[in-house]
Amino acid sequence: MARNVIRLHQVNKSYLMADEMFYALRNIDLCIAENDYVAIIGPSGSGKSTLMNVLGCLDTPTSGQYQLGEHDVATLNETELAELRNEAVGFIFQSFNLLPRATVLANVMQPLVYRLMPNKTRQAMALEALQRVGLADKTGHLPNQLSGGQRQRVAIARALVTRPRILLGDEPTGNLDSKTTKDIMALFDQLHQEGHTIILVTHEQDIAEHCQRVIRLVDGQVAEDIRNNQGAQLHV
Amino acid sequence: MFKLLHASFEGTKAAFASIRAHALRSALTTLGIIIGVAAVITVVAIMQGLSHSITSQLDDLGSDMVTLRAYTPTNQQMLGQFNRLHHDDFLTLKSRVSQVEDMTATMQAFSMGSQVHYGRNSAQTQIIGTDSSYQNVVRVYPELGRFLSSSDDDRRRRVAFIGSSLIQKLDLPDNPVGEFINLSGDWFRIIGVAESRGSLFGFDQDNYIIAPFSTIRALNGERAARNIDILFRPAAGANPEQVQQQMRSILRQRHKLAPDDPDPFEFISAERMIDQFNSITRSITLVAGGVVSISLLVGGIGVMNIMLVSVTERTREIGIVKALGATPQFILLQFLVEALVLSLFGGIIGLALGAGIASFIGLMLPAMPEALVPLWAILLSIGFTTMIGVVFGLAPAIKASRLNPIDALRYE
Ligand SMILES: Nc1ncnc2c1ncn2[C@@H]1O[C@H](COP(=O)(O)OP(=O)(O)OP(=O)(O)O)[C@@H](O)[C@H]1O
Ligand SMILES: [Mg+2]
Repeated sequence: MARNVIRLHQVNKSYLMADEMFYALRNIDLCIAENDYVAIIGPSGSGKSTLMNVLGCLDTPTSGQYQLGEHDVATLNETELAELRNEAVGFIFQSFNLLPRATVLANVMQPLVYRLMPNKTRQAMALEALQRVGLADKTGHLPNQLSGGQRQRVAIARALVTRPRILLGDEPTGNLDSKTTKDIMALFDQLHQEGHTIILVTHEQDIAEHCQRVIRLVDGQVAEDIRNNQGAQLHV
Repeated sequence: MFKLLHASFEGTKAAFASIRAHALRSALTTLGIIIGVAAVITVVAIMQGLSHSITSQLDDLGSDMVTLRAYTPTNQQMLGQFNRLHHDDFLTLKSRVSQVEDMTATMQAFSMGSQVHYGRNSAQTQIIGTDSSYQNVVRVYPELGRFLSSSDDDRRRRVAFIGSSLIQKLDLPDNPVGEFINLSGDWFRIIGVAESRGSLFGFDQDNYIIAPFSTIRALNGERAARNIDILFRPAAGANPEQVQQQMRSILRQRHKLAPDDPDPFEFISAERMIDQFNSITRSITLVAGGVVSISLLVGGIGVMNIMLVSVTERTREIGIVKALGATPQFILLQFLVEALVLSLFGGIIGLALGAGIASFIGLMLPAMPEALVPLWAILLSIGFTTMIGVVFGLAPAIKASRLNPIDALRYE
């Protein structure tokens, strides 16, 4: 069994709503192994995005312990969290979240701006990542000159460019048609093959079936956690 | 340290990119600062230009020349009593004060008006009676002919030494020596023309007639109150204060003043005039500076305002870069640099604009000397705008750096 890269222990995320505590996440215990391929499913409002934001260090749990690699996330300050976001994970959003005024190349280079390296190296790394997603010919375009599928591939290239071990996608195909969804999923399959740990939130049954492990959240709790033996391997 | 340098460099790049993306808005933002700095620089440049030209002109006159003249306090003037200096005062001082290089008395020819005629032409001028020492004290030299001699004074000759601009005003021949001019019915022969002194503040300094002291005194008449001015130069190596002190006590004795009576006369030196003038320009500069700092403050608030708007507008972008690993320090630096560049940019444009306006004014008004922008004003306005950028950029930058990534990403 591969070692765990993510360990959650009794993680809660609560909001104070109208004098009452609302739990978006409730006592989550979860381990995710290296090179796992995980789908997180569940009804709307069940806490999927909240969980992903915690995993991606964008949000901090109200209580509980989150171990990412060798880091205990609760003990890190803002700067260390920023560095962890930069190094350990690549986050892919449903709404792409590209910088609107920056070119495709500049968008992909952006995470490397926070690293001390020559601009040439950044460009080379960004080009390489764009090649991986098949967009090496669109480097000079602005995001609004691209199709939805192309935008999401730019976002994936941006998540890949720092060579993180973990890729997190919060409904990465949620805004895409079925043909484009297939292309993007093929890309995730390939990245999984290359050793990345991949965690995707999805509403779509076939994507969930595509993964090796399916976690179902209901009301902020893990309701189901199944290993899917006919997962990705079958589809490769 | 290395990290900070790296963040400053990348932050500066990001700041420039963002300023370029909003070029028009950035320009408008800095307008307040541009106007403020331009106003300071204009005022300072004009004042400095004035001060410089006056100082050098007074220096030309000779900063060691002192004028001694009657002084009447305002309350006494209102009673119609005027203090006077007499020719006897002059003679006493001349015989008793030794530490003086040269000394002369001048008298205005008030009984003759100030009209001078030549043929059918006439002009307004200033008519002064004085002796041959005047040439050495005031340092006025003949371009043509000669200055007054002591025999002119002894024999009460009707001769005139004229300023160069009268040649043109009266349409005199190019060499007017030997020509006769008429001063209210009396004919004077021109014996010399002075070297030109140019103009000061647009005042023609070459429009005067100098005639022998005794001649003017006689024409003024015995009954006319004969007030004189005494001009002198302390001897080289003498202490000017001591010389003035000595004159003071001689005059007080002659005028039989009680110890607590004020001096009925005053000493005016070029040095003192320069001091007075400089203190005037200094206070004008200070007042203008104060008014302008308020406008710079307003400009700074403008920068802060736009930066706050810009932070709010870019909340989502800030969320994105935070998700990608931008540290709070990085974002702080980026916004700080942006505010700094904006206000510094305004400062530099204002500097150029102010210098331009000042030299334009200098060109348009012939009386105005060339404008001068002193180095301290350049450094001060650059320093001040830098400070404004930092001070007013800090609040928006802190606001941006403290944004929570997930809230910023959700911002619509
Ligand atoms: N900042 C917040 N303040 C209050 N409640 C919040 C906040 N963020 C999320 N929630 C609540 O937490 C719950 C879980 O939200 P979350 O976005 O994780 O749902 P989800 O499973 O991703 O849903 P969807 O499938 O619609 O994206 C929701 O009921 C939501 O209202
Ligand atoms: Mg969601």
